Amino acid sequence: MAERPLSPHLSVYRMRRYTLLTSLLNRFTGLALSAGLILLVYWLMAAAAGPGAYAQAESVLALWIFKAIFLVLLAVFSYHLCAGVRHLVWDTGRGLERAQSRASAYVVLGASAVLFLGLACWLLIRVLA
Amino acid sequence: MAEFRLPANSRIRAGVTHKAPQGARDLRTVRIYRFDPDCGENPRLDTFELDAAECGQMVLDVLIRIKGSRDASLTFRRSCREGICGSCAMNINGINRLACITPVSDLGREIRIYPLPHMPVVKDLVPDLTTFYAQYASVKPWLMTQTSAPPDGERLQSKAEQEKIDRPAGCILCACCSTACPSYWWNSDRYLGPAALLAAYRWIIDSRDEATGERLDALEDPFKLYRCHTIMNCTDVCPKDLNPAKAIAEIKKMLVQRQS
Repeated sequence: MAERPLSPHLSVYRMRRYTLLTSLLNRFTGLALSAGLILLVYWLMAAAAGPGAYAQAESVLALWIFKAIFLVLLAVFSYHLCAGVRHLVWDTGRGLERAQSRASAYVVLGASAVLFLGLACWLLIRVLA
Repeated sequence: MAEFRLPANSRIRAGVTHKAPQGARDLRTVRIYRFDPDCGENPRLDTFELDAAECGQMVLDVLIRIKGSRDASLTFRRSCREGICGSCAMNINGINRLACITPVSDLGREIRIYPLPHMPVVKDLVPDLTTFYAQYASVKPWLMTQTSAPPDGERLQSKAEQEKIDRPAGCILCACCSTACPSYWWNSDRYLGPAALLAAYRWIIDSRDEATGERLDALEDPFKLYRCHTIMNCTDVCPKDLNPAKAIAEIKKMLVQRQS
């Protein structure tokens, strides 16, 4: 007898679902934030190395490509924070019914969009002022 | 380590198309995963065009119709046809559900039917549930006591104590939840999965059970319990409207609370 095949999983399961979508987004935003830490470490190390190194880091990080990365990281941070709060509530045993978790998925998406826009506007005003 | 691609012997090839009967009123295209263990070939996806007006209301009726009039070799499990035995659990249009209580009218023109995800396939839509049942048995799903029973009758519970276990005890072991869980897909050899953990919870909170500590000890393990990352697919798909995710969260809470 032939060895039993494995039934399809990722290729057939519905991914655009409030459960899987929010979970995957939380994973990927977490990964992106970890990668973003490299920039923070670079900035801190430059600050520790002295005024010359710091001035150089400032000019490098002022390039538009890094500004774009910061903007993406800001969005990523907004989502990851809101999704993290949702997980925190779940860990207390609350909000785990189907209707509640479906509703909180939309709340997290909405709240993270509002948080991102708020932070972005605040930064923009500070830069322009 | 999670293996995201299907093994070479599991990749699906194109299958046979069975054309629609003449003058169909409610034409549906049903794509069904087929695997024949005797022919030694990879699984295939067969297409059946059929008139849903000639079938009963549910997906199970469609499968029975196909088996009865188009291809007698089509293999699937079914028994009660009213959502209480849990035999006909399968992946229908991307979500795990019971074929017998899934109306065809909810599904659109194309219906895609696969076995429960990430399971060894015995034939067509029949998955091998040996590991799943072994995991259920491993949580010792029976009453464990040290004290002897009252001489004049059963061990009594209050109504409130019974109501706590009403819902978790409603599990029919259809495996929809466990096989919807990505954590279970990647770690089914070590993670117990939502169904077994729901059963564990049902006995942990049973007021008559006297092995609560032992049961919690057995679950305090990075894989058996803590592979749950609250993805919520389990609660999302449960055809009996039970809540394995909540049960797992409550077990995690009990493990923390007993340390203080």
